[in-house]
Amino acid sequence: MDRKALEENAFELVSYMVVSARNLLDEPPRYGPFRLVDAASRLVENLNKTDLGSERLEKIKTQIEAGKYSVMTSEEEFHEFLDSLVSSLIEDMRWCAKPDGARDDYLL
Amino acid sequence: MEVFEAIRGRRSIRNFEDRPVGKEVLQRLIEAGIWAPSGGNAQTWRFIVVTEKHMLNKIKMLSPGLLGDPPAVIVVCQNRKEAERKGGRLGVELVSVMDTAMSAQNIMLAACALDLGTCPIASFHREGIQRLLRLPEEILPHLLISVGYPKGAPNPPERQTEGICFFEEYRG
Repeated sequence: MDRKALEENAFELVSYMVVSARNLLDEPPRYGPFRLVDAASRLVENLNKTDLGSERLEKIKTQIEAGKYSVMTSEEEFHEFLDSLVSSLIEDMRWCAKPDGARDDYLL
Repeated sequence: MEVFEAIRGRRSIRNFEDRPVGKEVLQRLIEAGIWAPSGGNAQTWRFIVVTEKHMLNKIKMLSPGLLGDPPAVIVVCQNRKEAERKGGRLGVELVSVMDTAMSAQNIMLAACALDLGTCPIASFHREGIQRLLRLPEEILPHLLISVGYPKGAPNPPERQTEGICFFEEYRG
């Protein structure tokens, strides 16, 4: 992906986040967490178009896409979905770089 | 398609095939929209149909509620000035909103009958959409409807049937 396309994708995502921030002032509170995880998914989608994608990022995106619409149907299910996302992130934190030496074995 | 089949079969679609919707089909949807009832027969609705990719991208940037990549978006607007002239304060504040809703439902049911998927979207930045589409001040965008060929459909959420309808008087 060239620099121009990358910038355009980033601009689209930033617009989505900024407009969401404004609109959320007038929207149901549960839309806040929905927009956040949706933005996270869009960020991963953008990174996948570059060489910055990774297995753990793709995994979290897949989980978000599979569960995010529960916000429309069941508050309890959405709550559980967010909890499971956090658990999954904690699992994958073990691959984060350590201060004594960067690890990049989580990269694709 | 039977009316009840369309009513029960319609889903809010947020995943679309990469396939355009023809102009004639979109015009049929608008025709369905303008056959909706309107308070005092005001017919103060206006429809902007957007199909160009670069405009759809911009609409999407201003509309957090627009999910997926639909090949078309219908922006259902109301002419506030005309609504006030025809229906007074009630007309502009309440009736025109209901007119939009009734028209939108007609559009979505007609789309369902044509094997199209739709999703009504209220989460968008009104002023931003007004500027983007060069709408004059009196033309207010009320609702977006994404339109396209569905890529799968979600299961219908359960409908609450108990304690919502009473005959003769409220017994809640």
